[in-house]
Amino acid sequence: MYICKKDFKMINEVRNTVLSILNKNNYGYISPSDFNLFAVNAQMEIYEEYFSSYNKVVNAENARSSGTDYADIESPIAETLETFLKTSYLSHIGGNSFSAPSITTTGDTAYYILKLITHSTLLVSGTNTVLVPIGLGDSTASFLSDGISQGDIVVNTSTDNAASVVSVVSNNAIILDSDIFTATPENYKIFSQVAKEADKVSVGKITMLNSSLLTSPSNIYPSYTLEGNRIKLYPSTINDYGQIECVYFRHPLPPKWTYITLASGEPVFDQSQADYQDFELPEEDAYKLVTKMLEYCGMSIRETEVTQFGMTQQSHEQPTFSVQQ
Amino acid sequence: MAYLSQYQYYDNDGNQPQDANWGSYQYVSLEDIVNNYLLMYSGNHSLVNNEERYKILFHAKRAIQELNYDAFKEVKVLELSVADSLRFVLPSDFVNWVRISLYKNGWLRPLTENIQVLSSKAYLQDQQGNILFDIDGNILEPQYSNIDFDRLTKTKKSIYLNRGHQFDGMEGWCFNGDWYFEKRFGLNTETANFNPTFNIDKKAGVINFDSSMAGESCILEYISDGMEGGDNSLITVNKLFEKYIYAYITYEILNSKLGVQEYIVARARKEKTALFRNSKIRISNIHPGRLLMNLRGMDKIIK
Repeated sequence: MYICKKDFKMINEVRNTVLSILNKNNYGYISPSDFNLFAVNAQMEIYEEYFSSYNKVVNAENARSSGTDYADIESPIAETLETFLKTSYLSHIGGNSFSAPSITTTGDTAYYILKLITHSTLLVSGTNTVLVPIGLGDSTASFLSDGISQGDIVVNTSTDNAASVVSVVSNNAIILDSDIFTATPENYKIFSQVAKEADKVSVGKITMLNSSLLTSPSNIYPSYTLEGNRIKLYPSTINDYGQIECVYFRHPLPPKWTYITLASGEPVFDQSQADYQDFELPEEDAYKLVTKMLEYCGMSIRETEVTQFGMTQQSHEQPTFSVQQ
Repeated sequence: MAYLSQYQYYDNDGNQPQDANWGSYQYVSLEDIVNNYLLMYSGNHSLVNNEERYKILFHAKRAIQELNYDAFKEVKVLELSVADSLRFVLPSDFVNWVRISLYKNGWLRPLTENIQVLSSKAYLQDQQGNILFDIDGNILEPQYSNIDFDRLTKTKKSIYLNRGHQFDGMEGWCFNGDWYFEKRFGLNTETANFNPTFNIDKKAGVINFDSSMAGESCILEYISDGMEGGDNSLITVNKLFEKYIYAYITYEILNSKLGVQEYIVARARKEKTALFRNSKIRISNIHPGRLLMNLRGMDKIIK
């Protein structure tokens, strides 16, 4: 389980181990660029296995073949997965369409969208008139009388940035949890912190759902569809930046073993480089990463023994629990 | 949803309307029901799993509708004045009627449903009885049918012993000092009612009255389906039925799901029906005080 920050560089350990095994039998050498390519795939494979393992554990629990306390095998898997959970405001494309998490909008991509949270109630809108340190200042506003309270969502609609209300200082000033107003005049909207969860509906069903008298999407029961990289919210009155928070499992960052080259031409690990990125998986997955990497390396250097060794080791790593049908 | 403070309950936090929260503790909102169901009865380790929320919402609303039809005793009441059109437009949330009364001179007089028709459509016809059409092929209709015209002009006769009766206002015969307008013996008690009568035209969405109701005040007691005009935030259900609604949702989902063993469906059905009976007993509010009131009338001498 990976909760605490690792105090060693796992990627270097994995690379050293892989190279040691390869060198031991004179199988060959793997270049840093090849290693980095294989590392991305190996990490992704293990990441995906966590989801399928979680499903198997749930089935095992339902079959009463899992315990609690030290026999609880669900929690460690869930906790590992939860380290990849992230919440971001979705970028507004237009109308009721929002962009799914992407490198350009949220800085990462979503492996799986867990849920969408909507804030449909607009409390106040206006334009800031003065700059307040990490806050919002509007001499024409009446924040206190308008019922703005801690936790409400403030959106700078000029720059599409959002923050939460930390405290309402006066009718004209609010303190926020991040500095989203850096100039005047900038337009803002404040949405109520009251959140509703949007239900994911398939594109095939949404037309019928919208026509349904009893279950058509409403502000209390909003729905969304996912088409490509576009998320559409229903009812279509949910149509502003700051109204949608997306909770999702992001893809792990691509690992990168960075180095400097000595005069002899030998690459030496250098973690100080800007594009350095360690594996994001827990420490106990180092063994799995090594075996996966060996499998890829064996294919690369055409040594089937290395591949078979890697696969054999992985088969030993398979979860030992099973669900009897 | 948080519990209300006393100030919120009695005075709505000083806001208008003051009575917004009165009696609200009897009810649980639709939002709470769906939320509680998803939290407590649905998930990886529950019988109900992998169901979209809109299905839960649908079954919750259907349960509330069914309860409104035949379990709740939540009768809505609307008073309107009946104009010369002799019509009472049904309320927008009307599903069925319970009682229709005339309110006059401080008295509430329950009305009788007319066993005959009071209103009709009509088509224009020529001398030979052929139906007339316009150039688009649509049938031409008069403003009123004859029966409607007579009713509105107060010339339609009534089989009831009210103002439209054929002998109303007419002289009869005197025997032993009493006046008779029709035979006293063999009186049709079904029509022996002095009050105005009505018919409900459900498709047209109106209650039609006979001419004696013109200008009178009518009180309609009716039931709705509890959907509050489609505003999900206003839909509530009595707490006595909360567990039944959860059981209803579970049963409906399991019953329509492929591959669920029959004994599980049967178990869900039994739980649902048992809870329904329990809830009906609860809401019927049988308690000693009420029984005592009934028993007190036990020894009354009936003449």
